[in-house]
Amino acid sequence: MSIVLEAKKLRKEYQDKLALKGLDLQIRSGEIFCLLGQNGAGKSTTINLFLGFIKPTSGAAYINGLEVASHTTKVKEYLAYIPENVMLYPNLSGLENLALFSSLAGFSYTQDELVQYLVGAGLPAEAVRRRVGGYSKGMRQKVGIAIAVAKQANVLLLDEPTSGLDPKASNEFSELLLRLSEAGTAIFMATHDIFRSKEVGTRVGIMREGELVDVLAASDLDANELEKLYLNYMHV
Amino acid sequence: MVRSIAQKEFISTLRDSRFMALSIIVLLLLLAATVVGLHSYSTLQKEREVAQQTVNDQFANSADRHPHRMAHYGSYAFRPKSSISFLDFGLDSYTGASVYMEAHRQNSANFSQAQQSSSLIRFGEMTVAFVLQMLIPLLIIFLCFAAITQEKETGTLKILLSQGISLRQLAWAKIAGYSRVVGLVVAPALVLASPLLFSRGGYDLEADVLLRLLLFIVFYLIYFFIFIVMSVVVSSWYQRSSTALVTLLGIWIFCCVILPKASANLGANLYTTPTKAQMDADVHEEVAKGIDGHNAHDQRAEALKQELLRKYGVKTLEELPVNFDGIQMAAGEEHSSRVYQEHFEELTGIFENQNRISEYASFLNPYLAVRHLSMGMAGSDFRHYIHFQNRAEEYRYHLAQGLNHIQATQLKYGDKQTRLSSDTWKSFKPFTYETPSAGWALGNHLLSLVALLLWLVLVCTVGVNRINNTQIT
Repeated sequence: MSIVLEAKKLRKEYQDKLALKGLDLQIRSGEIFCLLGQNGAGKSTTINLFLGFIKPTSGAAYINGLEVASHTTKVKEYLAYIPENVMLYPNLSGLENLALFSSLAGFSYTQDELVQYLVGAGLPAEAVRRRVGGYSKGMRQKVGIAIAVAKQANVLLLDEPTSGLDPKASNEFSELLLRLSEAGTAIFMATHDIFRSKEVGTRVGIMREGELVDVLAASDLDANELEKLYLNYMHV
Repeated sequence: MVRSIAQKEFISTLRDSRFMALSIIVLLLLLAATVVGLHSYSTLQKEREVAQQTVNDQFANSADRHPHRMAHYGSYAFRPKSSISFLDFGLDSYTGASVYMEAHRQNSANFSQAQQSSSLIRFGEMTVAFVLQMLIPLLIIFLCFAAITQEKETGTLKILLSQGISLRQLAWAKIAGYSRVVGLVVAPALVLASPLLFSRGGYDLEADVLLRLLLFIVFYLIYFFIFIVMSVVVSSWYQRSSTALVTLLGIWIFCCVILPKASANLGANLYTTPTKAQMDADVHEEVAKGIDGHNAHDQRAEALKQELLRKYGVKTLEELPVNFDGIQMAAGEEHSSRVYQEHFEELTGIFENQNRISEYASFLNPYLAVRHLSMGMAGSDFRHYIHFQNRAEEYRYHLAQGLNHIQATQLKYGDKQTRLSSDTWKSFKPFTYETPSAGWALGNHLLSLVALLLWLVLVCTVGVNRINNTQIT
C-alpha cells in the first residue's frame, strides 16, 4: 500500500510556543491512524499543517507525494476534512449544504445521489430537506461526513469528529470509517476517544507537548491497556 | 465555485427574516423618497413655470412707458428644476429660486425653500439621495460585516477551504452574492419609480436627461460595490463579527458624518467668504467710481459727453444724432455690471475653493465623491446654480442695454415724457433657461469621478489581495 500522508521533521513554532517538535509520520492508503493527546498537545496543529492552513516552521507535510506548503490548492483535491463541530449554513437544508460543498469540490450530483450520501451518513431521510438551523449536533456531523464522503477523497482528516455524538451515532460513524478504510481511504483522526481509537484504528499514536511519544498497532493491545499506557504518558 | 457560493449567500440572505425586514424598510423609504421627491419637483416646477409665464406676460403687456422706466420695472428669472433633481435636492433647497432683474442692479437669487421653511429643514430632507448615500451603505454593512468572520466563528471557513476554494475566490463569491442582494433591494425601487418618472405628462425625455439618469445610477452602483467589497475585506481582518461590525460602523460614521462636516468647516475656515453687507458695500464703492447714469453732473459723464461731441463734430447734446441719456445709461450699466461681475466671480471663486476641499476629501471618502457626482447629475449642485445665476445676469444685462439702446436711438435728449407702446416690450425675447449638458456637469466633477474610480480599483485590488493574509485558524 502506498504512502499517501507523510510528515518529515514537521515543526511548528508560534511566538510563545513550540506546537510541534519535528513530527515524522507515514500513513498508507486504507490505514486508520488515530492520534491521541490532551488539549494543546499538537493534534489540531498537525491537521492544520496537512490542510495547508498554517505553514510549517521547518520540515514538510506531504499528501500523495506533494508538499502541502507549495501545492496548497492541488492537495485539497485529495483530502476531505471533518472538524470537531460541523456548523454548516443554518438557512440552507442538509441537501443544499451538501450540494454546495460538493459543487465547490467540483462534483455535480443529482438530488437522488445527494440524498443517498446523506442517508448513507446516517441522516434520517425526513431531515434532508429541512434547514440545518434546526439540526442537532449529531445531525450536522452526519452532513459533514456526507460532505467528506461525497468528495471521494483518498485522504480523510478528522479533528475529534465523535466529540459530543451519542453512542449510537459514534458507532455508526466507526462503521463508516471502516468501510472507507476498506475502500482504500487513508484516515488520520485526532481524538480523545481511546475506546474508539482501539476499535477502528490500524495504528494509534500518542502525542504529548508537540511530540509523538509512541505509536502502537491497535491490534497489539486491548482498550484498557491502551488507556493505561496513555494515562502513563500523560502523567509523566 | 464563485457562482455556487454567491448563490448560497443570495439564498441564505433571502431566508434571513431580519435582513428582509430591514430591506423592506429601506425599500419603502426609497419609494417614499421617490414619490415625495417627484411630488415636490412637480409642484415647484409648475409654480415656477406659471410664475415665469406670468412675469413674461406682464412684461410683454406692460403699459406704455418710458424705456428707462421699463428698465427699472424689470422682470424675474425663475430657475427651472433640473429634470432629475427630484432624486437629489442637493443645494436647491438652500439656493434661491428666482432673480429680480432690473437696471443698475445685480440681485442674487431669492426665495429658497430653506428661507420659507421651518428650522426643521436643518435636519436634512428625506430624499432618494439620502437613502442611497447614507442608509444603503448601512444596510450593506449589516449585510456583510460577518461575511468572513462568521465562517471563522462557525468553522465553516475550514470546510470551505478544504474543498479547494481559495480565500480570494471566497471573497469574490461573497461580493457577488451580496451585490445581487443589494440589487434586489434597490432594483424594485427603480422599477417602481420608473413608471412614476416617465408616465407623467409633459416630462421632457431628452437624451441628455437619460444620460444623466444613467450616470446617476452607475455612480451609485459603483458606490454600493465599494461598500460591499470594503465590508467583506474588513470582515476578513478580524476573528469576531462584533469587532468587524464596530470597525465598519466607525468607517461609516467617519465617511458619512465626520469627514463631510470636517471638510466643509475646513473649507470655510481656509477660504473665508465676505458678508453680503460687505460685498454690497464694496460693489457700491467701486460702482460709484464709474459713470452714474442718473447724474448729469458726474465728471465721468462729462468726459463721455465731450468725447461724443467731438466724435460727431457738434456743440450741444441736442445736436447729437443719438440720445445722450441712453448712451450715459448704457455706459453706467456696463461699468456697474463689470464691477458686480468681478465681485461675483471673486465670491464664486471662494466658494469654488471651499468646494474643492470637499472634492479633494473624496480621495479619503467615497461618500463625498458620490455626493458631488450625484448632485452634479441631478443638476442641483453649486455649479448649476452659478450657471443659472450667470444666465440670468446675461439676460438682465442685455435687457437693460436693449432698453438703453431704444432710449438712445428712438428718444430725443432730455425727453422724459415719451411713452413707448407695449409692442416695444413684446419684441424682447423672454427669459428662458436651458440646463447645461450631462458632459458639462460631469466635467465639473472630474476629481470626484477619479476619486470614486480610484476607490473602486483600490478596494478590488489592494483590499481583496489582503484577504490572502487572513488568519484561518
